[in-house]
Amino acid sequence: MLSYLLKRLFWMVPLLVGISLISFLIMHLAPGDITSTEAGFNPKTSEESRQKLREMYNLDKPVVVQYGLWLERISKLDFGHSFASHQKPVFWEEKDKDGNITKGMIQEALPITLLINVLSLILIIAIALPLGVISALTQNKLPDRAITIFVFIGFAIPGFWLALMLMYWTGVSHHWLPISGLHSLGSDKLPWISQVIDTLHHLTLPILISGLTGLAGISLFVRNGMLDVLHQDYITTARAKGLPENTVVYKHALRNALLPLITIFGLSIPGLIGGSVIAESIFAIPGMGKLFYDAVLMRDFPVIMGILTIGSALTLLGNLLADLAYAWADPRVRKGVSS
Amino acid sequence: MALAACHQKPTSDHVDYSPTAPIEKGGTMIDALSGEPSGLIAMIAGESSASAIASNIFNSLLKYDKNLELTGELAQSWDISSDQRTITFHLKPNLKWADGEPLTSDDVIFTWQTVTNDNTRTPYGADYKLVIKAETPDKNTFRVTYKQPYAPALDSWSGLHILPKHLLQNQDINTTSFARNPVGSHYYKLDQWKSGESISLSRNQNATQGQANIDRLVSRIIPDRAAQFLELMADNIDSMSLNAIQYARIFPARPDLNEKFSLYKELGNSYTYLGFNLKHKPFDDVRVRQAINYTIDKQEIIDGVLLGLGLPVASPYKPGTRWSNPKLKPYEYNPQKAIELLQAAGFEDHDGDGILDKDGKPLAFEILTNQNKEREMTAVLIQRRLKEIGIDVKIRVVEWATFISRFIKTGDFNVVLLGWGLGVEPDQYNIWHSSQQAPGQFNFIGYQNKKVDKLLEKGRLELNPDKRMKIYHDFAEILLEDSPVVYLYAGYGLPTMHKRIKGIDSPAPPAGIGHNAYEWYIPKPYRRNEMSAN
Amino acid sequence: MRSIFRNPLAVAGLCIISAILLMAIFAPFIAPYDPDAIHVKSILLAPSTEHIMGTDGLGRDVWSRMLFGARISLLVGIVAVGIATIIGIFLGAIAGFYRGWVDTVIMRLVDVMLSIPTFFLILAVIAFLTPSIWNIMIVIGLTSWMGVTRLVRAEFLSLRNREFVLASQTLGAKDYRLIFKHLLPNSLTPIIVSSVLGVASAVLVESGLSFLGLGVQAPQASWGNILTDGKEYIEFAWWLSLFPGIAILITVLGYNLLGEGLRDALDPRTSKN
Repeated sequence: MLSYLLKRLFWMVPLLVGISLISFLIMHLAPGDITSTEAGFNPKTSEESRQKLREMYNLDKPVVVQYGLWLERISKLDFGHSFASHQKPVFWEEKDKDGNITKGMIQEALPITLLINVLSLILIIAIALPLGVISALTQNKLPDRAITIFVFIGFAIPGFWLALMLMYWTGVSHHWLPISGLHSLGSDKLPWISQVIDTLHHLTLPILISGLTGLAGISLFVRNGMLDVLHQDYITTARAKGLPENTVVYKHALRNALLPLITIFGLSIPGLIGGSVIAESIFAIPGMGKLFYDAVLMRDFPVIMGILTIGSALTLLGNLLADLAYAWADPRVRKGVSS
Repeated sequence: MALAACHQKPTSDHVDYSPTAPIEKGGTMIDALSGEPSGLIAMIAGESSASAIASNIFNSLLKYDKNLELTGELAQSWDISSDQRTITFHLKPNLKWADGEPLTSDDVIFTWQTVTNDNTRTPYGADYKLVIKAETPDKNTFRVTYKQPYAPALDSWSGLHILPKHLLQNQDINTTSFARNPVGSHYYKLDQWKSGESISLSRNQNATQGQANIDRLVSRIIPDRAAQFLELMADNIDSMSLNAIQYARIFPARPDLNEKFSLYKELGNSYTYLGFNLKHKPFDDVRVRQAINYTIDKQEIIDGVLLGLGLPVASPYKPGTRWSNPKLKPYEYNPQKAIELLQAAGFEDHDGDGILDKDGKPLAFEILTNQNKEREMTAVLIQRRLKEIGIDVKIRVVEWATFISRFIKTGDFNVVLLGWGLGVEPDQYNIWHSSQQAPGQFNFIGYQNKKVDKLLEKGRLELNPDKRMKIYHDFAEILLEDSPVVYLYAGYGLPTMHKRIKGIDSPAPPAGIGHNAYEWYIPKPYRRNEMSAN
Repeated sequence: MRSIFRNPLAVAGLCIISAILLMAIFAPFIAPYDPDAIHVKSILLAPSTEHIMGTDGLGRDVWSRMLFGARISLLVGIVAVGIATIIGIFLGAIAGFYRGWVDTVIMRLVDVMLSIPTFFLILAVIAFLTPSIWNIMIVIGLTSWMGVTRLVRAEFLSLRNREFVLASQTLGAKDYRLIFKHLLPNSLTPIIVSSVLGVASAVLVESGLSFLGLGVQAPQASWGNILTDGKEYIEFAWWLSLFPGIAILITVLGYNLLGEGLRDALDPRTSKN
């Protein structure tokens, strides 16, 4: 197990370098001199901020050197300050000389996005598991077909359109749910339990919609995994031994079909951390997606590069954890039978 | 729905908001912002959302009243010396900051020093750098001297928020945390700023301009316009600026909305134009510019895009104000004349492909505009009209940052569709003077006209209103003839306000409905249920 | 391959896609109006016999714009997936055929690309390069090749040591001949399935970009930007969002059903009953 872990950790290094390289190249993709990309008319400011940018990214030096220096800074978790948002730190909070604390932009946005996506992942699993199992057990019969169509509709419907219709229906026609935002006004005066309920209330629609979109992937995965397992020899053996069908299905088949799900979760982490630009814009949620989109529109390069790097690095970490969990659950992997 | 108990419910679906009620203090007014301000020091932040909120927190020396006449805000009065180079402002007595500290001429001169400091990253310094001497003879007097008379001076002092020296003097204005935690002197003070969610202001008990009626102003950050309108319909926000379709189509069809909301129509603060890059061929030829001007049907754009909610303009000034030259009329829609002008300029369809050409080069260009529904639609209408006489037009819509950095600053464009402000101050030196063409400056279309340069220089020195008017009338006439831009329209601002808010001037005065916002009030029965612990 | 016709969902998907493709191809003959013809006098008319899907904010016929928009939306989907598939096949084939360090490098590249939130990458690149239909297709293509690469590589790895491959190799067949003649044809199935599913995602990505104002540019119609035009009037001018919304829904659904049906039909494990 330890050597497996070490091997995995070792492989993360080139990946991190690759990620940082892509994030770095993004900045150089913007046409023209990147120092001229300040969003506004202002001859003087731009000259000044150009100089600042040049110093910050060592733009007078060769590209390779620039990249090396940038790598050195981010290895110390120094992601710099936002150009657009009054010099807020990109990553983590900072204290000025008077003791005022300014929160980091990613520090504020990441928990919100994580919360939403973890909740919607839970919702997806809660619904997709039974749907997938039913689908597999009724393969090519009516329930299977109906479930397949249902989950695909969820995937195929343009999210922002569905969101607006639901916002209209549940928020304007009926006052069932709040339309946008994260908190009701003045909710911070409430006891904490009411605050939690208030936030969940606000998150109902966003979670519902992202859950619906993600349903298809997981439920089909469970279905196909189940079918796969159900046709394998040991299940046939189990059946032949006369074990009750329920035991066969739930104890043997489902457990083995679920194992690869761990990997799927690993793969869904970029989405978890990245969040949804569209959903966050429409529901006015200040998460990572909205932060990134605003940064792109403002050409706020420190924020763009910070989000890409940190988001991807966290994804790698998540994948590592998923793989470890998988290895722990499936001894074959540990023993070095690589996929 | 057990949860509904702690969710903010609308007061009731059947409140009649129309009767007036006596003025009472209290209540909360909620509006929506599309973007979060980067900070609340207006000279640094620069976005419209920042100045919208900051202007409730900070005062300037002067302000414009409901009829757009200058009047004192922090200043009680002001004198202009006989050589017209020196202005002396007398501050109102006993001014105070929201934290209780006295507001004096020291704060004013500190603000002037800040805005003119080379380390301050502000685009607004130019006006104030013309001051060659600023002094504070006493705590209540602030005096500035210019090298030569400067007519736009008073206007400039109505746009500078005075900042507190005692909180900022040892800070770096560009990065200070004061920007997110400001202390001002106006009706409201910052109560709470929830990143990405909302900014709440509460009444400033130390306000020296008088006490506003409404207790709290909350601005919710809702990026999507469709979501904003849903929030309005659901009675979760009290005001919003509507587009033409919402104003002219949706509201008339929805009596329930009309029961709750009042509509206002104010002459907008900007006009939309089609600007030519005068350094590029064939736009250096006035006949080509005039021909395009004759080909665009402005009334069609106003009817089609604005549903009639706009005015044609023939000068860069608000129609109906003194600076707008009443003699001038927009170019009529006259494609025949356009064809003749183009012929005279050498453009004809020689190769028979339906597109005019000259020296083998077709008359084709790209209209560049930013992400803005109205402008996009306008461009589509223009494209069609130009095609009818054989001009091939493509449209490119890019978001603002790209627009500025990639195209405007580099001068790499042919034709842009954009807007300029219709200010109260007639000086437009920055936009039209030939010296203002450096990258990042406003005369990016490269307009050069010696006569216009002279008039603009003269207009800045002339303090006599009538003589000044004549100068700007002449200026506008040359500009119209030269046609460096095609004036398209000035759209109306279409704010809607919830009827629970009383005291709003209707119809909107020249300054717009917002001029007396501190007098607005919300009678108790109309207020939203405040969130409470029980 | 015949077994796919026994799967009613796959057949339904195929019918939907064929119908929409036909409508897109014959748009100029079906459309009753010029999709770009502006009528300022007939703005936002509700559906009627004259305009069966109503008119938009400039008085253009929505049905005609939907037909021409289908061309753009499908083109974006198909070309983007084409690009992704070509890259995927190329890299996957090299990795699976040569193995060794080439394989390692390519698969690490795949891992890197998979760990970056793809939509962020698309967003940044399109915003920086300014949106155009070509940029959109290329960028979607360049950010979605990883799945195909993995598939092709896996197929190649498993086919590589089969007898028929080894036999032709000993007979002196050149690498490219081995790849194109023997390996690639035998790994087409998963490639086709993943391409069909890929088109569905690309159509959705295009509509998402339109929502953010970074999609196909006016006056060209795509389903994404017609839908976005209608989003502010979802209840008042419902026809502006309903028809493109349903069109996207049905198309994406069609591609998914077909793709999943193909997978079922061609995968020996799941089709066993």
